[in-house]
Amino acid sequence: MTDVQPLRRTLPRIPDRFAAFGALLIVLIVLAALLAPWLAPYPLDEPRPLERLQPPDAAHWFGTDQVGRDVLTRILYGGRTSLLIAGAVLGVSAVFGVALGVVAGYAGGLLRDLIMRITDVFLAFPALLLSLALAVVLQPSVNTVILAIAVTWWPWYARLSASVAASIATRPYVDAARCLGVPAPLIILRHVLPNSLTPVLVQLSLDAGGVILTSAALSYLGLGAQEPTAEWGLMVQQGQTLFTTNWWVVTFPGLAILLTAFAFNVLGEGLRNALDPRRAVK
Amino acid sequence: MTLLRADRVTLGYGRHAVVHDVSLDITGGGVGLIGESGSGKTTLARAFLGLLSPMSGNILYGDQTLKKADLRKFRKDVQPVFQAEALDPRMRIGGSIAEALPRAARSRVPDLLEQVGLDPELAARRPHQLSGGQRQRVVIARALAVGPRLLILDEPTSALDVTVQARILDLLESLTAERLLITHNLAVVERLCRTSYVLFAGRVVESGPTSELLANPAHPYTGALRDAVPRLGGPPPEAGVRTEAVPAATGCPFRLRCPLAVPDCERAPELRDLRGRQVACHRAEDVLSA
Amino acid sequence: MIEVRDLQVRYGGRLVADVPQLDVGAGECVAIVGESGSGKSTTLLTLLGLTPDAEISGHVRVCGVDVLTASPRALREIRGARAALVMQSPQAALAPATRLGTLMSRALKLHGREKVDQAKALEAVLLDPGILRRYPHEVSGGQAQRFAIALAIALGAEVILADEPTSALDVTVQAEVAGVLRGLRAERDLALLLVSHDLALVSTIADRVLVMKDGAVVESGRAAEVLAEPSHPYTRELLEALP
Repeated sequence: MTDVQPLRRTLPRIPDRFAAFGALLIVLIVLAALLAPWLAPYPLDEPRPLERLQPPDAAHWFGTDQVGRDVLTRILYGGRTSLLIAGAVLGVSAVFGVALGVVAGYAGGLLRDLIMRITDVFLAFPALLLSLALAVVLQPSVNTVILAIAVTWWPWYARLSASVAASIATRPYVDAARCLGVPAPLIILRHVLPNSLTPVLVQLSLDAGGVILTSAALSYLGLGAQEPTAEWGLMVQQGQTLFTTNWWVVTFPGLAILLTAFAFNVLGEGLRNALDPRRAVK
Repeated sequence: MTLLRADRVTLGYGRHAVVHDVSLDITGGGVGLIGESGSGKTTLARAFLGLLSPMSGNILYGDQTLKKADLRKFRKDVQPVFQAEALDPRMRIGGSIAEALPRAARSRVPDLLEQVGLDPELAARRPHQLSGGQRQRVVIARALAVGPRLLILDEPTSALDVTVQARILDLLESLTAERLLITHNLAVVERLCRTSYVLFAGRVVESGPTSELLANPAHPYTGALRDAVPRLGGPPPEAGVRTEAVPAATGCPFRLRCPLAVPDCERAPELRDLRGRQVACHRAEDVLSA
Repeated sequence: MIEVRDLQVRYGGRLVADVPQLDVGAGECVAIVGESGSGKSTTLLTLLGLTPDAEISGHVRVCGVDVLTASPRALREIRGARAALVMQSPQAALAPATRLGTLMSRALKLHGREKVDQAKALEAVLLDPGILRRYPHEVSGGQAQRFAIALAIALGAEVILADEPTSALDVTVQAEVAGVLRGLRAERDLALLLVSHDLALVSTIADRVLVMKDGAVVESGRAAEVLAEPSHPYTRELLEALP
């Protein structure tokens, strides 16, 4: 193979640059959220009724909302909530889904069938509907949003990692470990899990945008974060009636959602291309 | 008493059998299992390693079936040497070998690497930083770590350059463990195995002393395999058989490819003793005298 | 049909193939022998202008066209029709969702050779015309390889460049494909350039051999002579390595 290796250099490296661009954007967004207390021009909760619905100007770059709060400040703080939701949902889904999926994929047979049927049950519910039901039963709050979305999200990770793990389980190095008498849990931890993670990683970054959009949708429906918590979806919901008259109240948080979802997607696509085994450069 | 043998095993996945009623003794001096892709040779290897349970028949370890045997002892006695891809791509070489050793004996990793002719420094590398030949040596070192009495070698050299292959064969020849060698390469079998089994479509069609089989094949398929291998400066190799035809479902599986097939071949031939070997062919006598 | 003089192929300044002279005439078979990293495949790809990133010097003529200076159009002309490349695993190169027959018809149309008798080309490689109705995954490795060769014949190839055409195949199938190549060369006056690591196979088919190591040609000459009385230590090593 060494003979043709140099040919690979002719392939464009654009996907990796894409990934880097997405990663940079995400770092900026996360930094902005983390540093909100220092970056924000105004305190988080300081309604100034006299300055309500100001259009963007030098004092309020993104304008103010219906109770006179600085929109930029709320977007910066809102990023914390939205990113927290995305992180928590994906963290819970990935840990739970991958754990079940890897076991199912490696074990095969009855255990796999059992786990996959459970997964199918969860997949059968429309995600938004299940989230809606949960959010109605429980009190609407950020935690409810996280729980509701995670419940509908983990099965995808279980499915993905089960199919990856099933293929890893047939690799000669797994057979070799079995022939050495290594116990199954150790084989899963040492060989199957680490070698199954790449596609999960890609899926995580592709999904982050989706989770943020879903949480925004739940908040928008009034089932998520509640006032006075700053959250992008909630901001869009509360500003929607003002769109024609005071466009900035709804447009800027909407753009924040869009930009973040976009950044994660770009990173995910880039990662997918860069980590594609068919393109793996040794 | 041989360490490991197959007693009329039928193997498969789901309900689909790919190896039919095969008996095989792993005797001293090396045993070769020769077959082309789809012959079931790798499936048979997996059964010998306890990775696949027979649909019928038994794998016997000593005088016990594998199901009842002491698996810990079995794992120490029987080890696989797969192709060089049998290393976890994410694990360092040292880690891969150490996996075979009890915690207290991990210090033996450098010794094992030296034993297979590798620099102990390589322990810190990952598989992709090694050449194909080096990786194959690591795979052998890991198998040797538990001190096995039998190695099951599945195409151990077929992915390697010829000069590298020659050195790996030297290494394998120098090992004291018994061996079952699975390959499509007749020259390798000739060198490493005193006894051979030829597998076609999941059935043993001929078995006996390797030198005898290759010098005077009694089954047309053994002959076809031999004549298909190009020899240096020799005559052009010949397929001699119709490679298109799929194995026949009834009767002799080879009959659709066989240049000697007669109507009688629609009746499945049994393995029978013939001049120091076993062969499953109605026309074995004609093949031998040809 | 192939004429190479002082060919040097470099990647980022590193010399990966250095071939002072290589000629393949009609009806002749020349083999480049070497192990991985020897530069044998790079040499073959360069002959078809398939190493766009490399720095190349020297002269390469294939079917009378100067490959190194030819226009992309002229290159396509040679590559598609007059000089055919046969790879190790042709299945990977066949569009998976297209029947072999469709594939062949399209290729013929592209080169204005609709009138060619497809069955005859298939017959030359011992394939049943029924194979045209199948999809690439429905044929065996040996069939796919012979189909690739049949396609080359139908397109009127005068030169076949084969890169390890048999090494992924079972031994009986290897013999068959090798036999097909040998037969064509004799019947159709094809020029055959074979890249292989298999000295034994090469000895049964090639008129002349070039032995390459680390990018350099270490020995070349008539196959029978080189293999019987190798003058370079590396050739001897290769021969001794045969099990």
